[in-house]
Amino acid sequence: MTISGVGLRSSAMVQSLVDMRAQLADLQRQLGTGKKSQTYAGLGLDRGLSVGLRAHLSALSSYDSTINTANVRMNLAQSALTRISDIGHESKTNIAATSDVSMQIAQQSARSGLGEILGLLNTQAGDRYIFSGLSADQPPVETIDHILDGDGARAGLKQLIAERNLADLGTGQMGRLVVSSPSPTSVAVSEDVAGSVFGFKLAAISTTLTGATVSAPAGSPPQMSVDLGAVNPNAGETVSFALNMPDGTSTTITLTATASANPGPNEFTIGVDTTATAANLQAALTNAIGTAARTTLAAASAVQASNEFFAADTNNPPLRVSGPPATATSLVAGTAADTVIWYTGETSATPARQTATARIDDTITANYGMRANEDAIRRTVQNVATLAAVAFSATNPDAQAESSALYDRVRPALDAPPGAQKIEDIQAEIAGAQNSLAAATERHKQSSATLSDLLQSIEGVSNEEVAAQILAMQTNLQASLQTTAMLYQTNILQYI
Amino acid sequence: MSLGQALATSTAGLRATQAALALTASNVANADTPGYVRKTLTQVTSSAGASGVSVRVDAINRELDQYLQRQLRTEMSGGAYADLRAQFYSRLQSVYGAPGSASSLEGVYNDFTTALQALAASPEDSAARSGALSAAQILAQQLNSMSNSVQGLRSDAELGLSNATQQANNAMKAIADINRQLATSVTQDATAATLKDQRDAYIDQLSKLMDIKVVETDHNQVNVFTNSGIQLVGRDAAQFSFQPQGTMTATAQWNADPAKSTVGSLVLVSPSGGTYDLIANNAVRSGQIAAYIEMRDQILVEAQAQLDTIASSMAQALSSTTVPGQPYNPMPQSGFDLDTSALLPGNTIHLTWTDTITGKQHNVSIVRVDDPNALPLKNDATADPNDEVIGVDFSGGMGSVITQLNAKFAGKVNFSNPSGNTLRILDDGLGNLADIDAVSATVTQTSLVGGTLALPFFTDATSPYTGAITSLGSQSVGFAGRMVVNPALLADPSKLVVYQSGGYTADPARPNFIYDQLTTASLTFDPHSGIGSVGSPFSGNLPSYLRQMVSMQGEAADNASSLAAGQDVVVNALQGRVAEGSSVNIDEEMANLLNLQTAYAANARIMSAVKDMLDTLMKM
Repeated sequence: MTISGVGLRSSAMVQSLVDMRAQLADLQRQLGTGKKSQTYAGLGLDRGLSVGLRAHLSALSSYDSTINTANVRMNLAQSALTRISDIGHESKTNIAATSDVSMQIAQQSARSGLGEILGLLNTQAGDRYIFSGLSADQPPVETIDHILDGDGARAGLKQLIAERNLADLGTGQMGRLVVSSPSPTSVAVSEDVAGSVFGFKLAAISTTLTGATVSAPAGSPPQMSVDLGAVNPNAGETVSFALNMPDGTSTTITLTATASANPGPNEFTIGVDTTATAANLQAALTNAIGTAARTTLAAASAVQASNEFFAADTNNPPLRVSGPPATATSLVAGTAADTVIWYTGETSATPARQTATARIDDTITANYGMRANEDAIRRTVQNVATLAAVAFSATNPDAQAESSALYDRVRPALDAPPGAQKIEDIQAEIAGAQNSLAAATERHKQSSATLSDLLQSIEGVSNEEVAAQILAMQTNLQASLQTTAMLYQTNILQYI
Repeated sequence: MSLGQALATSTAGLRATQAALALTASNVANADTPGYVRKTLTQVTSSAGASGVSVRVDAINRELDQYLQRQLRTEMSGGAYADLRAQFYSRLQSVYGAPGSASSLEGVYNDFTTALQALAASPEDSAARSGALSAAQILAQQLNSMSNSVQGLRSDAELGLSNATQQANNAMKAIADINRQLATSVTQDATAATLKDQRDAYIDQLSKLMDIKVVETDHNQVNVFTNSGIQLVGRDAAQFSFQPQGTMTATAQWNADPAKSTVGSLVLVSPSGGTYDLIANNAVRSGQIAAYIEMRDQILVEAQAQLDTIASSMAQALSSTTVPGQPYNPMPQSGFDLDTSALLPGNTIHLTWTDTITGKQHNVSIVRVDDPNALPLKNDATADPNDEVIGVDFSGGMGSVITQLNAKFAGKVNFSNPSGNTLRILDDGLGNLADIDAVSATVTQTSLVGGTLALPFFTDATSPYTGAITSLGSQSVGFAGRMVVNPALLADPSKLVVYQSGGYTADPARPNFIYDQLTTASLTFDPHSGIGSVGSPFSGNLPSYLRQMVSMQGEAADNASSLAAGQDVVVNALQGRVAEGSSVNIDEEMANLLNLQTAYAANARIMSAVKDMLDTLMKM
């Protein structure tokens, strides 16, 4: 502001005093706030840069907070995955150590292991379920009770296994096979219904019996047979029936000809002629198939039921036996209303890792999403659950054979087949993401320090400098005030 | 008789000395009166009888350097202009907040992007969602309040203009009054000198308000003109007429057409009743009035436009989606079908076609307009510098749209409407004058769950922001003051994440999209805000525009204050110079006083000598 002249005294002089006072006040403010200016105007030419720097710093700090959040989640995931993997190993060890009497104990520990795995899969970081893919506000898996025992009208794994067991074994507990004798010297085995998905499936037949001929599986329903012809076989010669089972495994029933009148298991007595021998063979075959159905097939059936139960998600409900199990011939998709769907998280075509991303730098994102139904995790859950779900009756004479058939299937299945995803693979991928997080944190620390320094040099003041300026200004102001006072006092009136 | 003459002369001497003494007293008394010009007295000898010479006071002079005074007045106009501008700029700076403070626009913008980051990291977290929404609300409110503050400043400028015209009217009237009084007095007496002092004070006052030219004429008269030569004061004073606007909004703007102008205009009414629009003729170029006008009609309007650009760019960056044209080739013609059902007023159809004769490629922006009075649109209606803008009135249905469009292309590009809202754009087929290269439309998403990541995040009160153009102007004008976070989004924050029905609650896609659009997406900004030019508009991401705005405003404010400081120095120096010549110097007055005392004593001594001599004569 300009000031109108006051008589003789130069207004410019007064103005300069006012300016000095204002400068002093501004210096004092700078010392107090540590800031060069309270407005963008006062920052000088770098004002635009200061806005940019602050935006960058703010972005860095939000990256850092994202990194912290993501790190917590990944650490939780790592420890959960480690434990799940351990439980898988423990279950395997338990199976190996199981003797017949402790069947119950292995099952008990499998049940508690399953409970723990499910608990781990429902791990929350804050309110977020880390194994739920894109539906992180929903728990990814059902409770152990629902999964094993069902929930009201919704069937659980045990019920599915039981239904499948009935369906696979069929009414006569023969694994849906029919043994017949199409001619006096021949024995045939056929599937009960063409196209049925249950029970044994005929694979091949072979023999070393002298004079016998075999017919490979053919017809509808398929049938295979052995005709002993006119010559009795010699003792020690065999006929083999190869059968496929629902879980993709196969078994071969080999019957050996014996001269003994009291044949052991899987033996048949050579009769007086081939007709008598064929009758013995038919009886032995019926017996052997019955045994295989109650043991091996039952185990395979349980494994397959479990396969179907755990392959399901909300978009693909589990396949169940259609109609009365003992006579059923096909599978039907269950519904969410009648079957427990173990995985309740999100399912889409998005790769699991990409269901959670952390932006950790301007152009870098770390993917760390997980789903509880990823192959590796599902395999562990499924096999431990199968162990826990299959019931063996102590009074059942086949129980031991059945359980050993089951263990033989579950034990290798707990290890990933070559090329398939392992839990360790998930862990490695998460660890990779954590590495890039750590690297980004380090980078951010350095950039942040540099940028802050630069910002400080634009906006901040050096206290020493300001203090020195204040001193100098104070001296100047005092001198000016004194001089002004002297000038005002110097007047002719003092001297006349 | 010469003794008598001596007596008479010494009496005249005493009278002159008394007058001089009175003047000294007046000078001393007024030493500190602003505007007081030191008076001196001119004595002349006058013949008295045959042998005598007497003295008389001829005139009271004002010790004034008129050239200096004229220069001072010019600089005072400039000084007042610069001071007022600096003052407004500094108030405008406070609107932008302290650098880095929580109340600055960049501060709340950074808070918003930080909250979006947190949301992208935890999309399912309701705290993160409401955090992002409340940061967005704060940002919207910050823009609202900044817009209000800018309009408040404009309102102050309007009021200031009103006061300034009042002052100017008073000053001009007073100058005319004094002119008339001085016309009647013929002598240069003390009254006349005092009246001139007063008149100078009024002229000074007027020169602070506006730039004027002062011409002195005979008989102590002055005429005052504007710098452009319009007479303000002669024997009579002209008057300014100004009707201030009560409340100021962003849409209230000055227009040369009085019917369209929604703020006060400054009109000069001459004594004879003629009127002259000073703003339209740019007749006031300096002084406070010019500063008020510049602030009200340019600088603050531009500041508002910058805020509006930020607001509308944010709204559009988040809500715009592209509808691609579907190729349609009924040989020999070829072209595209475009679904225009989602096209809202302000949305644009982009048509690229090549004139095969010249080989020149044309980018045409067809803008939907629903108010026929807004047509035709200017080429700068879109920020894109390389396009040809065609405004089309859609209110008459597709038939009318086709007619309007076909009229623009002289058969080279053909428009038709096969069904519904489909716009079919085909070339001329066998004529082979044109090829259609590409067709698409940019439309505003109005649904929160429309299956696209784009969403109407910010709305214009309750209606969507589309940048619609009507005869009242663009929707963008004043949008910063009206923008809100979409109420539907506030009612259901989950829509920040779920972008289609059946979408997933922890899907980070939409939060990431919002973050990217607001931080890295490159946009082209409307050049009318003073950043960038029509020929090469500023393009970059939103934070860089923000940076430009702050930078430019800070720079302007800094310049304004430097200019004001520099002008102050000039004015102070000139005032010092004028004061040196015109103000009362007590030392000098005291010295004069001594002289006058001596002169008075000497005259009195002569009188007493004459008396002695007369006494001697009588005693004889």
